[in-house]
Formats: sequence, structure tokens, C-alpha cells
Amino acid sequence: MDKKKSLELIKLEVLGCLNEKDMESLKIMKESKDEFPWKELADYQNLVALIPSALELKYPASELKDKTAMKLYSIRDEIKAKIDAKKALEIPSQPVEENSDLEEKIELEEKIEVEEKVFAEAEEGFHIIADEPLAPIQEESFKIVSNFKEKEESKNLINETHDKIETAVSKTAYEKDVIEKIVRDYIKSHIEGDIDLLNQSVKKNKILSFILFIITLIMIGALYFIKQ
Amino acid sequence: MAESNTLTDAEIMLKIAGYDSKALEQLYDRYAPFLYTLIKKIVTDKETAEEILSDVFVIIWRQIDHFDFKTNNIYTWLVTLARNKAIDVLNRRGGKRLPDYSDEYEKEYIIPKLSEEVETLELEEVLSRKGKMEKALGSLTDAQRYVLELSYYGGLDQEEIANKLKIPTVTVKSKLQVAIGNLMQKLSEAK
Repeated sequence: MDKKKSLELIKLEVLGCLNEKDMESLKIMKESKDEFPWKELADYQNLVALIPSALELKYPASELKDKTAMKLYSIRDEIKAKIDAKKALEIPSQPVEENSDLEEKIELEEKIEVEEKVFAEAEEGFHIIADEPLAPIQEESFKIVSNFKEKEESKNLINETHDKIETAVSKTAYEKDVIEKIVRDYIKSHIEGDIDLLNQSVKKNKILSFILFIITLIMIGALYFIKQ
Repeated sequence: MAESNTLTDAEIMLKIAGYDSKALEQLYDRYAPFLYTLIKKIVTDKETAEEILSDVFVIIWRQIDHFDFKTNNIYTWLVTLARNKAIDVLNRRGGKRLPDYSDEYEKEYIIPKLSEEVETLELEEVLSRKGKMEKALGSLTDAQRYVLELSYYGGLDQEEIANKLKIPTVTVKSKLQVAIGNLMQKLSEAK
């Protein structure tokens, strides 16, 4: 291979100004079995990336962080799908008949991992608020989105999980377990307090009813004796 | 945000690969001004530059699987990505005929493909060598610097530069090659 020719093309490629013919020639050179000057290509790639370091730094508007966060939030479904796809590749399918202790243990660990992933975004957003003191306006961006995201996700969580359970005919038992666990956790954290209060008031009402019943009995008895 | 100062670029990228949004925020805090400066130089309009910068971080988040953790050269990857995106927007707005912008197009033309032998650069180190780059660029002839700028910031190819300057394409090619060669030599001498 003509190293000089390769270098000439590399210099133009890193600047992004190769014409189609030269682009094709360089592609062939890269794919050929001969020694291609990869180190030189690397050096020139670094060199052109250094060019903007000579510019005077300018700063984007602080609100841009908010806008970026909103854009990222709008693609959350795509990202969740990517996480699920990754997980699906990592978790090998297991025969249903086999049910050893070890398998159960692995399954439990995987459930926890998947669950963590499902809530990762919201949790991270929450951490941003929890870990850091309130800072200037530009710091608000991820907070706003995170709050919004958390509220929305909390509101929709039960509905979503019920929908999922309804359409779970095609889903695996493993996914169902995860969904049920999410619902249980949600009920535990959000509804149990209300149930306790309700139980207490029912108890109070029962005692009051019992007292009224006794008073009524006494009065009936008293009336009976008075008549006698 | 104390943690953002302690994590290296590589650690941040690893966290982003695990879809850690806080890590992406740290990367934004660290690189946004530098990338914005480059993008603004290319597109000149403030609003467009901000839009592109925002899009660059969305691309990082969506296409993190295409970052090569073997080379781990975050600086060059990000700068090249931001430049590719800005030039693409510039060309489309200028009416240049390009394929429709799709996921495939993004992977092929916007996501950088760095040589595996690339050495790692860190932003701090680059900023500390600002003076050397200014000096190296200053050592080029006006003509060399001009064609280099038309190519790097203007996104023009050889033929477009030749048409603009009304000189033969071969001359443009040779000027660009000499300019970039000289720049490499001057920077190596300055190390």
C-alpha cells in the first residue's frame, strides 16, 4: 500500500472534505490486508479535535439544560426499551421444569435488577434533588423534570401496572412477579397509612356503638322498673 | 455538584452507558461550554447552536452503545460528534442534497468512528494547551489558515472551497494537506 497516498487522504478525511472518489479509495485502503496507518489516522483525528481549543469559550443559556432534560424525558420509552432489550440478551431462557434453589436465587436477583432499572430514571432524578443543595437557575432543570417525571410516574404507576397485568397473556411469569411486586410496594408505601387510619376509626366506632348499646339497655331496664 | 469534579470522563461515560441520567448531567456541565463554542462558530446563530448542543446530548444518551470504550477518547469523540452534527445542520439549511436524517444516517455520518490506536485526551489538558494551539494556528500562512477554516468550521469539501476561491481543486487539496501537516508539526514541537 502507498503509505504516502493514505496519509494524504487521511489528512482530508479528518477534516471531512474528501470527495466521493477519494472516500472510496480510502475505504478500500482501510479494508485491505496491507498495513494501514491507523496510528497516523488516530493522531490526525486528535489534532483536528484540538482546533476549537483555540476559540474563546462561550456559554449556552442556562435554560438550555431544562430543554435538554425535557428532550431526554421525551425519549424515555425508547431508552426503557433499550434497557429491556439489553436485559433480554443478558438473561438466558430457562426450562420451566427445572426449579432448583440456585435458580430461584438467580431469578430473585434478576427481578431486583430489572425493578431497579424500571425506576432508575426517576430514582436518579430524585437523587439529584436529594444530594445537592438548591443551586442557581440552571440547576433547576433536571429537578423540574425529575419532579414532573416522578409525579407523573407515581400517578400512572397503578394504571400502567394493571394494564400490564391485563395484557400479560404473552408475558412470562417472571415479568408478572415483577409487576405484582411493584404494585405491592406501591400499595405498601402509599396506601397502608390510610388503611391504618381507617382501621383505627372503625375500632373507635365499634367501641362507641357498644357503649350506646349498653346505655340503651340500661334505659330500657330503668323504664321497665319504673312501670312496675 | 462535588462529584462531577472527581469523576473522570471515562467513569462518567461508563455510568451513561448504564443510563445514569445524573452522569449525563455531569458530562453536560463539563463539556457544554466547549461544545457550544465549537457549534456556535460553525452555525453562528445562537438559537441554532443551542438546539444542536441539546441534540448532541440526546444523541449521546441514545447512541451510547456506539461509543468505543476500548479507545475511551471521550474528548475527541464528543468534539467530532458535535462538529459532525453542526456541519450536517449547516449543510441541510444551506440546501445541500443529503440523505434523509434517520437513525442509520446518524450512525453512519454523525457518530464518530475513531481509530482504535487513538490516544486519550482530557478536556482539562486540552484547555491548558490552548496557547500552544493558538500559536500553531498562527504559524500557518493566511491562505492555509483560511482553507482550513473553510473546511473545519465551514463544512466545505475540496470542490466547494475551490469554487468559492476560484482556484483549482488540486491546489485546495494541497493547501489543506500542507496546513494540517504543518499544524501537526508545530504542535509536536511545542510539546
